[in-house]
Amino acid sequence: MEVVEGLMTQSAQLREARNLSDQSYDRQIRENVSSLRRVLSTKALGAFASNDSLLDHFDPVADSLVYLFLLRAQTQAFQEEFRENVPAALLPPGNLWSRIVSYLRTFDPVQVRYAGQEWRQLVELVAQASQVPILAVRLVRDAMLRLDPSCAVFTSTHLLLARLCLRARAYTHALPVLDRHVCHFPTSTPRATSGFSVLPCAAHDSSLSFITDTSGLSSKLTYKDYLQYFLCGGMIYMALKQWCKAAHFLEVVISMPTVGPISMIMVEAYKKWILVTLLEKGKLSSPSNLIAPHVVKLYQSLAKPYVNLAHSFSRGDLAHLEAEIDAAREIWCTDNNMGLVSQVLGAYTKHTVMGIKQTFAALTVKELSEQASPMRMNDEATESVIASFIMSGALKATLVQNSTRGSPTMLRFSEIHSAPRLSDESKAQSRLVRESQSLGSLMNGLDEIGYHMGLSNEFIDAVQRGQTWAGVGDVNSGMSEDVGLEIEEDLMGEVS
Amino acid sequence: MDTLPDAFPSSTQVKFAAPFPSGAAGASSQGLPGVIENPEPIARIKVHDPPKFDLESYIANYVGRTRFNRLYLIGTSSTVLSTEALKLAVAEAKSGKDVSQYEKAVRALSEVAPTEEDASLDTAWVHNVQRQVQAQSERLEQELRGYKNNLIKESIRMGNEDIGNHYYETGDLLAASKAYTRMRDYCTTPNHIASMLFKLLNVSIERGDWLAVQSNVHRLRNAQSKPEDQLKNQPKMAAALGLAQMHSGSYLDAANTFLSTDVSLADTFNEIITPNDVAVYGGLCAMASMDRGDLQRRVLENSAFRNFLELEPHIRRAIAFFCNSKFRPCLDILEAYRTDYLLDIHLQRHISEIYTLIRTKAIKQYLVPFSRVTLTSMATIFAPQVIGGEAQPTGVSSPFVQELIQMVKKGVLDARIDLEKGVLVSNQTDLRTEVQNKTLESLRSFNEEAHLRILRASVLHAGLEVRAPESERRSRGNPGPNLRGMGMAERFTRGGLRS
Repeated sequence: MEVVEGLMTQSAQLREARNLSDQSYDRQIRENVSSLRRVLSTKALGAFASNDSLLDHFDPVADSLVYLFLLRAQTQAFQEEFRENVPAALLPPGNLWSRIVSYLRTFDPVQVRYAGQEWRQLVELVAQASQVPILAVRLVRDAMLRLDPSCAVFTSTHLLLARLCLRARAYTHALPVLDRHVCHFPTSTPRATSGFSVLPCAAHDSSLSFITDTSGLSSKLTYKDYLQYFLCGGMIYMALKQWCKAAHFLEVVISMPTVGPISMIMVEAYKKWILVTLLEKGKLSSPSNLIAPHVVKLYQSLAKPYVNLAHSFSRGDLAHLEAEIDAAREIWCTDNNMGLVSQVLGAYTKHTVMGIKQTFAALTVKELSEQASPMRMNDEATESVIASFIMSGALKATLVQNSTRGSPTMLRFSEIHSAPRLSDESKAQSRLVRESQSLGSLMNGLDEIGYHMGLSNEFIDAVQRGQTWAGVGDVNSGMSEDVGLEIEEDLMGEVS
Repeated sequence: MDTLPDAFPSSTQVKFAAPFPSGAAGASSQGLPGVIENPEPIARIKVHDPPKFDLESYIANYVGRTRFNRLYLIGTSSTVLSTEALKLAVAEAKSGKDVSQYEKAVRALSEVAPTEEDASLDTAWVHNVQRQVQAQSERLEQELRGYKNNLIKESIRMGNEDIGNHYYETGDLLAASKAYTRMRDYCTTPNHIASMLFKLLNVSIERGDWLAVQSNVHRLRNAQSKPEDQLKNQPKMAAALGLAQMHSGSYLDAANTFLSTDVSLADTFNEIITPNDVAVYGGLCAMASMDRGDLQRRVLENSAFRNFLELEPHIRRAIAFFCNSKFRPCLDILEAYRTDYLLDIHLQRHISEIYTLIRTKAIKQYLVPFSRVTLTSMATIFAPQVIGGEAQPTGVSSPFVQELIQMVKKGVLDARIDLEKGVLVSNQTDLRTEVQNKTLESLRSFNEEAHLRILRASVLHAGLEVRAPESERRSRGNPGPNLRGMGMAERFTRGGLRS
């Protein structure tokens, strides 16, 4: 019982310390965490561990730290008791489950920074525990956003969430996290400038300050983790048909720096990327120039059927396209890309009609199918296809059927630049606001990166001067950020 | 003959374009064997209509080797004039010393008119000339060797010039241009250099080596000759440069060069080009490349070029009609002279492209004042034969509408076709939406690019590059990670020291 009392006094101290300066709050939390870890490891709680009422003494918001450790202790006790990873008592109808749920919704994000490992274990447990993944999806997501509202530092929880959403087919649930740009990875030292230690409990501009290698908020990361995260994220966007964002996520995967060989994840992403850009833009766009040329060659040789498919798409050769799709049916199936490939044909028709829109203001459906020679459908089928385009909003046009039978249906495209409607205007405005917000967040990330790498304008100037002296290459006089990053890459190439 | 500009299928155009660049490519390396002499078109354009000019008086305008080349071209292209022209060509060749020319002309004549008496080879003459040429070549080479031993610069120069002239007359153009090039080192006065460069110019024009023509003109321009000489040479230089530019397809440059040609050209350059040619080439190139304002100001109101235009009044009329937006008469005039231009040695390859350009420009110009035009009224101006002949003059299958469709697709016309009402609707631009969309797009692409780069830098900073499994294990053991924690500046100096 005195253990419980000890815990109570500790949490009382913590509540007081909250009002003190950051330094003393930090010291207090550190003390508490070490003593709590000791309690947990020595199993000092004994029989209390599985006593549910113990948690009633604490408030999940104010005593987040203690509550977290007690939850850990209880789950451990259950795990040991039932000798299985996810004991039945933890599952949704159970009492403990509801406590965990309410805790993850209300915990104090500052205190948890000090007990990252325990917090992560709890979240992972939740992800494993629910039989129905959709139950865990929102919990994990809200917990992530509560801990780090910017979600800019990649953690293993990101990957966990993306996978959960894919499994649960709850694609929209992942969007709040996916839409925030991941810019950083936890590093070994929070700041390059050693000398004074950073207090995790203080208010920080960037979550990079408290999510570090040692914080335990993320498990040990490898390149596979973030590649998988972006691939999964891309797949989630694909499922939502947000091709543009999907293409961006996949492009992230394929443009990651490599030392020597490339990963199969990247090849897979490249295959999907080709299909997604076809669906979005109707052509094979060239990949980002960040990718080394030899890597692009490697991709192309490994994804030959996809490249061929894209070529016959952009050549506007439907028969060839169909033959290409049929010929490599097995490949699509083994790569699990059949769904995307089957959408390619539809996209082809759409792009053909869009091309005709550029040339004609109005024409009969019959003339349209003549213009788009590869559309080998009868007029009714063509008409219904066009009607579906118009209904989906992809095409702004009207179909006018004549009352006399047998006379052709007229398709009239609306003006390319019709007078803007109010709804368009407000839509454009909100999109602009959204983009500028993401630009702002990216700039923050950029500042952070620049700070960590010790890049400042003066430094870049010095490097430029050094390069001109040495006569090595030509310094491109683009934006300073741009230059900085490129220099950074070169240097890294030398160091590693 | 069909009066549409695309009366000649584009495939012939392609075929004609092909031999030209290969000749130009070989040009830069003059010494290489296999440089194409007189690039022979793979498939000859056939012209069935009688031209407006009189062959005798036409060819009387020219002197030198170009006479044969022009006669041969007319003989092989025109079905009406073939016998007459080829007979003249045979006579022309026989008066010279070029055996290959003679054989070529006789072969062509025997295909067209085997019964003519000129159609059989005069072997005695051939042998005789060949022997003479052989002897002459040996004698000249011998003489040159003698001059070289004596080390008299002027003699060596003249020796080389004689050899060059000799080869040029006998048709060995490559050897001729080599001989002329060898003169370079022995030229002592600017006059020598200029005359050498003109010789080279003539040879390169005949070889169709337009790059060499351009470079020789530039050399001429940079040669430090006296101002009055400079003035004398200007018209020839301009005409040659204009030809080269026209052949390389830059019609605007060609038009400007021809327009700047001085009237003093007169008949000083008849071995290549006559003032009439300058008027035609300059006028057509200008019409193909300039807008109405420029045409009015720089061609019609150009007092120097007016002298040329007066030689070819129909060109001036066509330009005037174009400037006054009377497109039908303008196109009619051009169509009437199409046959003549197809029989011109320099225009033949370009005329259909130039006509298409003029026509496209006319259609564009015609559309400017309208927001919508009926296809019928357009067709009466640009395709009158369609109105009469076709059942559905403005249906999707009519050639004129097809032409319009192609133009819209290529982005030449900023308009769309309304087949229901039979009108062409010009696209209205809404700047506001356009700017909004552009802003959004550039923001989006910038964001994506920035994100990619930031992530990349972060990955490198955290040491999480994609690597092979075994090298991954190794790197965990080595002190790599420590290095990453180091200040950037320190790392830079390290890298700098090492490199």
